[in-house]
Amino acid sequence: MPAYAAKRFAVALLVLFVVSVLTFTFTNVAVDPAIAIAGEGATDAQIERLRREYGFDRPLYVQYGEWLSGTLAGDFGTSIRQRRPVLTMLAEKFPVTATVGGLALILAFVVAVPLGMVAALRPNSWIDRFALGFAVVGMAMPTFWFGLVLIIVFGVTLHWLPVSGTGTAAHFVMPSIALSYYSIPIIMRLTRAGMIDVMASDYIRTARAKGLLPRTVLFKHALRNAVIPVVAVAAVQFGHLLAGSVVVESVFALHGIGYMAWEALHAADLPVIQAVVVVLAGFYILLVFLSDLLNAFLDPRIRIA
Amino acid sequence: MTALLEVDGLSVTFPATAGDFRPVRDVSFSVDRGETLCIVGESGCGKSLTALALMGLLPKWARRDARRLELQGRDLVGLTERQLADIRGRRMSMVFQEPMTSLNPAYTVGEQLSETYRRHYLSRRGVARDRAIYLLETVGITAAASRLRQYPHQLSGGLRQRVMIAMALICEPNLIIADEPTTALDVTIQAQILHLLSALQKRFGMGMVLITHDLGIVARVATRVAVMYAGQIVETGTVDEVFANPLHPYTQALLRCIPVPGRVKRGEHLGSIPGAVPTLMGDLGGCHFRNRCAYAHAACAPDPILMNEVTPGRGYRCVVPAAICAARGHGAAA
Repeated sequence: MPAYAAKRFAVALLVLFVVSVLTFTFTNVAVDPAIAIAGEGATDAQIERLRREYGFDRPLYVQYGEWLSGTLAGDFGTSIRQRRPVLTMLAEKFPVTATVGGLALILAFVVAVPLGMVAALRPNSWIDRFALGFAVVGMAMPTFWFGLVLIIVFGVTLHWLPVSGTGTAAHFVMPSIALSYYSIPIIMRLTRAGMIDVMASDYIRTARAKGLLPRTVLFKHALRNAVIPVVAVAAVQFGHLLAGSVVVESVFALHGIGYMAWEALHAADLPVIQAVVVVLAGFYILLVFLSDLLNAFLDPRIRIA
Repeated sequence: MTALLEVDGLSVTFPATAGDFRPVRDVSFSVDRGETLCIVGESGCGKSLTALALMGLLPKWARRDARRLELQGRDLVGLTERQLADIRGRRMSMVFQEPMTSLNPAYTVGEQLSETYRRHYLSRRGVARDRAIYLLETVGITAAASRLRQYPHQLSGGLRQRVMIAMALICEPNLIIADEPTTALDVTIQAQILHLLSALQKRFGMGMVLITHDLGIVARVATRVAVMYAGQIVETGTVDEVFANPLHPYTQALLRCIPVPGRVKRGEHLGSIPGAVPTLMGDLGGCHFRNRCAYAHAACAPDPILMNEVTPGRGYRCVVPAAICAARGHGAAA
């Protein structure tokens, strides 16, 4: 197990390194930072002076090295537009996105796994059909549209929940629901398929033949094996949730990372764009790493590195 | 004294709109303590489903009927799932055909062994662990204590089957049902496992139902034999009676298919049974073997053929008198 963990961690670091190189290269090729800093109406001479002043005239790999050492020390540079440290901005916005994303993921699991299990145990029953319908609707409905429907029903008509902003816990309810519904179908269908497979397996028959109680068979012997594929996609799902977060944040006017990225892109605010991409990628890679570890814990066959 | 296991008129039906599928039809037998009953028959004759029906492990949509189904005088027919679970693993247990997939890949061997013991005896973990080590040693696994920490994927097929046997025996059941326990194993391992099973059966004084398609296995371990064909038992008797004096044409034909050293010449064709097994849908009417039987005549249909009891425990399902059957079977005797 430690050998396996070390190997996965090394891979994670390597991926993160490649992501940082690609991000830094592509953003610098796409946008000339000197022009972005100089702003509209600047003369060529002014831009050239800025380029030398900031060191943008040096080779890209030298600039990357400088940026990397800064980033590793926790210094993501300064926002061109807001003139504030990027780290401070991240610290402000990240909790909002993490809260919505985390709540959405938990909600998705809490709804999808039991629903998938029940659907698997009673295939073709009314509850299985209901779950399938629920999943199809979730797959078909765009997140922003579902968010707007929630706003109209629970915010405007019923006045149960606040429509926008991040003031109280109640503000996070609708965004989390809107975002979670995107992940529910896939988690539920995977749980159902995994559970049906496992329940038909020889070792479940063995467990019953040993006289184990139905609940032991179900929760100890079946569920653990059934969720292995689900755990593997959970990290990928969280990545989708972070991406979906950009949409949800704009629908509900939450000022999170998504909103910040959107603003930075419009202003060609290079340090912010780089930081957002690298932080989100890092977060995603961390989750994939954790889900690898969890899977290795659940399935001893994976532990052999 | 009543028998350990009494089965009378056991049938398994899978209801379907196109007509019921009936793979097990009116099967009756009994097993005493210390006795090994071999149920022998070709693939699809209903022998495995008979075993699952005894354990109450049939798929949910299957229907099980029986006039009598008793273990140690206790009726198994009307039991709830919970009551049945109390009996399974403790009073009767089962060893399956597929050792590679019959153990849960997510738990250690030790956990899967001791949970069975803890389930039935509510003992502490340490006690159950000692018991698991003892059973692993009993089934001939060396370094038992260290094996407890291993996962099924780290063991060979033969070892896994030994673990399955240890698991089946951990609560000292009165009856063990082994469904083709050696079919999936290497030929050299087959003999070891078979020897082990029959040694343990004697040592613990259990009754055993061994299901197989291998007549060689029957000859080696059986006390009594039940030959199954197309969902029915067509012949029963002690192993000596059935092998020396087969009565049913199917048993006779089956015995002609085995090579006997010294009697079958090199290059000579082995016997085979022409035709195919009937589909077990609906009512077949008459003898199930009549389309392949060399002696079939008008009396073989349409009425169901009943079991003729020659002596208690010795029977055959054919309309022809036993003396004529015995004369026909003379050439087939092994």
